Amino acid sequence: MFLELVYDPTTNPLNNNEWSFPLLEIIHIAAFTLSIGTIAIVDFGLLGWGKRDAAKLLKETSTLTLLGLVIMLISGPLIFSSDPNMYLRNSSFRFKMVALLVAIIYNYTIHRKVVLSGATPGVNKAVGIFSLALWVSVVFGGLFIAFV
Amino acid sequence: MSLLTFAQWVQSTPLFTAIRESWYVYPAIMSSHLAGISLFGGMVFIVDLRLLGLAMRKRPIADVVNQLRRLKWVGFAIVATCGILMLGSKAEEYYYNAFFRAKMAVLALILVHALLFRRSVYAKAAEFDRSGTVPGLAKLAASLSLVLWTCMVICGRGIGYIEPPLDKLHARVIEHLHQRAQSADRIVYLDTRTN
Repeated sequence: MFLELVYDPTTNPLNNNEWSFPLLEIIHIAAFTLSIGTIAIVDFGLLGWGKRDAAKLLKETSTLTLLGLVIMLISGPLIFSSDPNMYLRNSSFRFKMVALLVAIIYNYTIHRKVVLSGATPGVNKAVGIFSLALWVSVVFGGLFIAFV
Repeated sequence: MSLLTFAQWVQSTPLFTAIRESWYVYPAIMSSHLAGISLFGGMVFIVDLRLLGLAMRKRPIADVVNQLRRLKWVGFAIVATCGILMLGSKAEEYYYNAFFRAKMAVLALILVHALLFRRSVYAKAAEFDRSGTVPGLAKLAASLSLVLWTCMVICGRGIGYIEPPLDKLHARVIEHLHQRAQSADRIVYLDTRTN
């Protein structure tokens, strides 16, 4: 790997305490459940479930989505800090970071624009399915870190 | 047949053996389990937060509850299917796992919660909209649901932190059987002597 941090993880309090790491993971899971779940509600709206009012759904859920993302983006780097060099070398972690970056940018640009301004049913569906696929791939990338 | 021998039999079936022995199938199922939780767990959050008046306040409660009901069931089916596949492929490990047992207890409580509050709360969403107030019982149901599902996540994550020492456990069982066989030999021996 081209990036190697000069840092001793044994000095990190997270590694000197049995409960902090699993607690962080639980907070991380609960947070992305909130953000991905609320994004999924908008996506299912785009796919034509329920009342098909994705724009209204987005306005009603965007605060919770952001709240989940913020908690996720605080707990995530803390988890990362427990062993940065292992994560940086991990191919699944690198995939996850790329997918996450694309998912966040997509969510606040194309996805948001299409949801708020409306498009043809075909475009709506494609945008919704792509959003779901992106976020699911982030979850897969995260879980496979422990298996690759 | 004890629960343990049943667990050992389940995981020895061809399907579950194949899942366990492939390096990627088990984590892929686990990822689907987690992706299902993130998609549909978020909907559980939203329904409960709406009843508590903390989310989607401008939208009628009945809209939120009724439109998400079917999606939540689809999600639950996906998450449960992945869960059963994971359980079956490592049934013996799960048998020894305290967090797994705790998780099943919480799941049982969630089913009791559903039976208790389905009629008295979730079917009455339109009434709450008409009267403009959410009764204490509904807020209690929503709070309990949030607590129970959070416990499910905590127990689920906890499962991964316990790795039962199966080798040691197996060694102990073999030793136990060996001792029993030896004492049985002695009885046979005594019997032959008296004859």
